[in-house]
Amino acid sequence: MRSMADQFREPIVERVYTLNLGPQHPSTHGVLRVLLDLDGEFIVKADPVIGYGHRGHEKMGENRTYKQFLPNASRMDYLSGLLYNHGFVLAVEKFAGIEVPERAKYIRTVCAELNRISSHLLWFGTYVMDLGGFTPFLYAFDDREHILDILDRVSGSRLTYSYCRFGGVCQDVDAQFVDTTRSFLKRFRSRYHDYDNLVTKNVIFIHRTRGVGVITVDQARQFGVTGPNLRACGIPYDMRKIEPYEIYDRFDFEIPIGTKGDALDRYRVRLEEMEQSCRIIEQALDRMPGGPFWNEAATFKVRPPKGEIYFGFESARGQTGYYLVSDGTPYPYRCHIRVPSYGNLHVLTEVLRGTMMADAISILGSIDVVIPEIDR
Amino acid sequence: MANKDVMIEKLRSMLGDDAVCVDDKYGAGVVSAATAPAAKLVEALGVFKDTGFYLETMTALDFQDTQEIVYHLNCFEPMSRMSLRVLVGHGVSVPTASGVFTAADWLEREVREFYGIQFEGHPDPRNLLLPEDADYHPLKKDFGKVHAYRTRDEIYG
Amino acid sequence: MGNQKIEPGEPVIRFALLDDILNLARANSLWPMTFGLACCAIEMMAAGASRFDLDRFGAGVFRPSPRQSDLMIVAGTISKKMGPAIQMLWDQMPNPKWCIAMGNCAISGGPFEYDGQYAIIPGADLLVPVDIYIPGCPPRPEGLIQGFLALEDKITKGEDRNILRRFHRKGGKS
Repeated sequence: MRSMADQFREPIVERVYTLNLGPQHPSTHGVLRVLLDLDGEFIVKADPVIGYGHRGHEKMGENRTYKQFLPNASRMDYLSGLLYNHGFVLAVEKFAGIEVPERAKYIRTVCAELNRISSHLLWFGTYVMDLGGFTPFLYAFDDREHILDILDRVSGSRLTYSYCRFGGVCQDVDAQFVDTTRSFLKRFRSRYHDYDNLVTKNVIFIHRTRGVGVITVDQARQFGVTGPNLRACGIPYDMRKIEPYEIYDRFDFEIPIGTKGDALDRYRVRLEEMEQSCRIIEQALDRMPGGPFWNEAATFKVRPPKGEIYFGFESARGQTGYYLVSDGTPYPYRCHIRVPSYGNLHVLTEVLRGTMMADAISILGSIDVVIPEIDR
Repeated sequence: MANKDVMIEKLRSMLGDDAVCVDDKYGAGVVSAATAPAAKLVEALGVFKDTGFYLETMTALDFQDTQEIVYHLNCFEPMSRMSLRVLVGHGVSVPTASGVFTAADWLEREVREFYGIQFEGHPDPRNLLLPEDADYHPLKKDFGKVHAYRTRDEIYG
Repeated sequence: MGNQKIEPGEPVIRFALLDDILNLARANSLWPMTFGLACCAIEMMAAGASRFDLDRFGAGVFRPSPRQSDLMIVAGTISKKMGPAIQMLWDQMPNPKWCIAMGNCAISGGPFEYDGQYAIIPGADLLVPVDIYIPGCPPRPEGLIQGFLALEDKITKGEDRNILRRFHRKGGKS
């Protein structure tokens, strides 16, 4: 028999409640906010809300000359800042027809691959930290500091680079760069053993990542997922092989792919990619020619002809593209950047459905998004 | 036959020969650029999807006389990027592509908030990057500081 | 006690001599809140990682919850959408609390501030009272550590037992 109070109390009919994850939370992917509709522990609907890092890069692109836009490029995806810088420089060089000396191409490739390794290392450290393990974070950052030392010495910057310039690089590398890089590669390869023992063979890690967050090829095609997330599904799609730019067609390296498309495969693909980047760096260091490093005279006035260009390249997160429309002046008419994290985050609206809250953190970490590049 | 060749054939038969221009040397980063009227947009995108393409990105351009939406599509084969362009006047709306490619859901939200182009039938036309109460369209050339505002022919003529 | 007016943020009960000891304890055990917005967040993480260890200054315990932290490091560009969140987080932090503006974007908008910028708030001090400004884009982790030491000095009002440290910072020779 219901009491008098019960007749006035509204019965709870809905099991689903909305939980706000972010925009400030310990998982350091940037300012991401996900509105989760939860039924107990299970996610019924996931709606990422982005835009907390919107800085107006595309509008700035229209108000800055090509040279003035160089600092902006690194700051979109700051973990692969040199790759973005490299990509922008390549796009404008192709557009405006600027010649690049051979030595500069090799230097840029070495630095770009070093940046790719450092980005994957940071992802590795923060992903395992998200899952609860703090020690690999310290190991990964230690290795990363060695890379940053090398890049800092040649470019002057640890995180956001403007080292690649139109027509080459702004400063030459010396023998110490080559020696330090080689000794770093030797040291890094000996660390795989540590990473394997700490993480890859760790039972807890395997349980938290195997079968979690499976992305099918069809979902990838619907949402525009690229990069290691797509390669973990089994598609060997890497811009360095599909549309070779710079001198990547001269090097011998493989594209690691996975089979199931779950978080464990994504982890393995990225670890294997670091090894392939080491291979590219070795070959580039062996073959680096002498000669000039900057075709500075050709870049006095960067005025691409009227028209447009779309330049796609492979950043650490996936396929990135610069779409530039020029009206013949030194200012772009339109500067649109296609970022890989866009599709990578969007696929979560489907992948997170039906998973548990703790798995959601694992999936979010495994797709490796950097929110300021989505927000531009 | 490679996917891109199949696609070029289908586009030619659907839109007419002079709406599709092919550039095998990949000078502008695309192997072909097609122009479609807004009415045939969703059909063309459906053909892309059936041939195994994915929507890489979508953006818009603002000119004095018109606005233009550019879709870039790509498939998992080498050198296969194709672009599809739709001319829309200022204030004209375009059918949504989110029924064909789910990626268009967010991409159209972004184009709508930055350019003011409305997409008919879009399931969720909220602001994506700007604050929810933003009522301005930043990337239009009459907003804020603008360096140049040109007509379409000045660039593509 | 009497009729003294209490300023907001100041302690109600004052222990004359104990205050110094309390300030020393607060300065040497600052608990920052993880508030990385953009690129500077990575340098903040690097400052807390193995090489530039922040833990040796007592400040390595990054608390995700504002209710458990006493230092907010605004690291990165503040967009207009994020402004209300910063305000709310600052209000949620209990007193005594301090704020460090790390990086050019948090100081004055940084490389994104130009005539016609519509999307950012040019500077954290437009929202919250900032104690220490650390310039750089991004500042090196050593810069962040120097900022921490300057904040420690500010908390202890310049009094600290380590005479050598003060001497170095004033430009003395070692």
